[in-house]
Amino acid sequence: MAATRRLQKELGDIRNSGLKSFRDIQVDESNILTWQGLIVPDNPPYNKGAFKIEINFPAEYPFKPPKINFKTKIYHPNIDEKGQVCLPIISAENWKPATKTDQVIQALVALVNEPEPEHPLRGDLAEEYLKDKKKFTKNAEEYTKKHSEKRPAD
Amino acid sequence: MEEIMTTSQGCESDMDCSDNECYEDYYNINDDSDIEQVDPRKVDPEYFEFKCLYEEEVDRLLNETVETLSNILHIPPSLAKVLLHGHQWNIEEVTRKYHDNPSNTLITSKIEPVTTHSNIIMGRYMCCPVCVMPHPVDKFHSLTCGHLFCRDCWTMHFEVQINQGISTGIACMARECDVLAPEDFVLRHLTRPNMREKYQQFSFQDHVKSHPELRFCPGPNCSIVVHGREIKAKRAICTQCKTTFCFKCGCDYHAPTDCQVIKKWLTKCADDSETANYISAHTKDCPKCHICIEKNGGCNHMQCYNCKHDFCWMCLGDWKSHGSEYYECSRYRENPNIAHESVHAQAREALKKYLHYYERWENHSKSLKLEEQTLGKLRSRINQKVMSGLGTWIDWQYLFTAANLLAKCRYTLQYTYPYAYYMDAGPRKELFEYQQAQLEAEIENLSWKIERAETTDRGDLENQMDIAEKRRTTLLKDFLDV
Repeated sequence: MAATRRLQKELGDIRNSGLKSFRDIQVDESNILTWQGLIVPDNPPYNKGAFKIEINFPAEYPFKPPKINFKTKIYHPNIDEKGQVCLPIISAENWKPATKTDQVIQALVALVNEPEPEHPLRGDLAEEYLKDKKKFTKNAEEYTKKHSEKRPAD
Repeated sequence: MEEIMTTSQGCESDMDCSDNECYEDYYNINDDSDIEQVDPRKVDPEYFEFKCLYEEEVDRLLNETVETLSNILHIPPSLAKVLLHGHQWNIEEVTRKYHDNPSNTLITSKIEPVTTHSNIIMGRYMCCPVCVMPHPVDKFHSLTCGHLFCRDCWTMHFEVQINQGISTGIACMARECDVLAPEDFVLRHLTRPNMREKYQQFSFQDHVKSHPELRFCPGPNCSIVVHGREIKAKRAICTQCKTTFCFKCGCDYHAPTDCQVIKKWLTKCADDSETANYISAHTKDCPKCHICIEKNGGCNHMQCYNCKHDFCWMCLGDWKSHGSEYYECSRYRENPNIAHESVHAQAREALKKYLHYYERWENHSKSLKLEEQTLGKLRSRINQKVMSGLGTWIDWQYLFTAANLLAKCRYTLQYTYPYAYYMDAGPRKELFEYQQAQLEAEIENLSWKIERAETTDRGDLENQMDIAEKRRTTLLKDFLDV
């Protein structure tokens, strides 16, 4: 299967790259199509914690895009309560088979650090973000402290 | 048709003097030197030139355009096709743009990249960035952008895209590269016959949809493509399945209302229909004896079976006031003090206004269906007459002509209501509603006469037909603005 070979290579490359913002990548030996990992953002209010995500690759990968889900609850205009995230780089219309997973992750980390309230998944949070940034930051910080994962020591 | 069109100049006459023109034509039939022929585009506001084409004919038409552009610009046909598809098949516009700035035109049409990717190839083998497998260098292909991928990945990419219904819009596999794969490149990589067929079918559909002069017949399972001379909201009739539709939007024909307004109206009706249904029941009481009456014919001139009172179904007023006098029950009277009323009252008024138009719209739509039944009854009655020796089948044909004309007139009348609903108040709306009322009155007269066909004099009926059609044409001439 084309997907297996490519995913093995991508997984190896990412693990070797020593990426700080995405780590603890766990992949089941028997199923390379599902990855789990920890997003570690740099910008406030999300730099108080870390967020577990799951990446699901379709059998037709890389000809069809992967799907990303947040396993940790997050207070973010572009990520909904179910953990779904709106990331243009992996939408069916924009997907390119030559796009690599580390590029997808970088785009995701950038989105977590810098929310895009112009095309939100959660309208209420986007509104708060635009109208009362202070309140939003305070809420997001509290939410992060309460729900997020522990950040790795280094 | 074409001969007639080219010889017309400034024929100012309208319907009223057409008799006179026929008369002149009759006497000058062999003398074509100085007569002005009737231009159907000026006489008939609904005149529309179109052709119904089969798939092969459409293919030929598209290919001829591609070939012409390919010869003008000296570019391969497959690239000419991409250019035309991106420019609504407007050959003049593409040519002008291309001559102004060839490279920019190719870039904006996604035929060439902004910057070409350069490859450094060492050795006889290369690793494909998509499948990460090494292949011999000659197995690698790229579009004009230079992004190299192996043959198998291209095939897989195309198959996945085609299975998602994408054909003319398939782009290069490289990230942030918009260059489109032209037809010949795609077909070179598709080996399975069913995939090739699917690709060709989808791209054919894309091309027809991007061509403003072409439209698929909306009839069920009909593969006809209508080719219109002009891109207007006019009536097209499929020669194959007889479906009638608006050429511009593909929905049911809707003159005199335009495409945007009818769409708005239909959406509104779909949203509000529950309320409207609730308020306007299917039965009404006779205004005189109060017996419950169900409307079972298309005519709005009602006669109570109980007390024989003649009244109008729409306004429940005495029919006498609808006959010779000015027929007014199609006009909505707006409350002049509405601006000073409360929000609640304004909402009520808005609903009332909408219901006024909706009820009439809905009523004519129902009448159209009921009149179809009348036609069925008429047919069996005529059958009986012919069987019992009262004239031949041909003698009674005029009744069917009358029924068809009635349907045509009522259809237009139905579509005048959304038009009026969205019109701003003022003299133009008054004129429109005046003409609408005139048309409505004549249609009801015609319907009444057809339902009582045996007792109506043929001459009288034909006169009525003529009047109704003239009212319809007059209204369209003044208000069909497409």
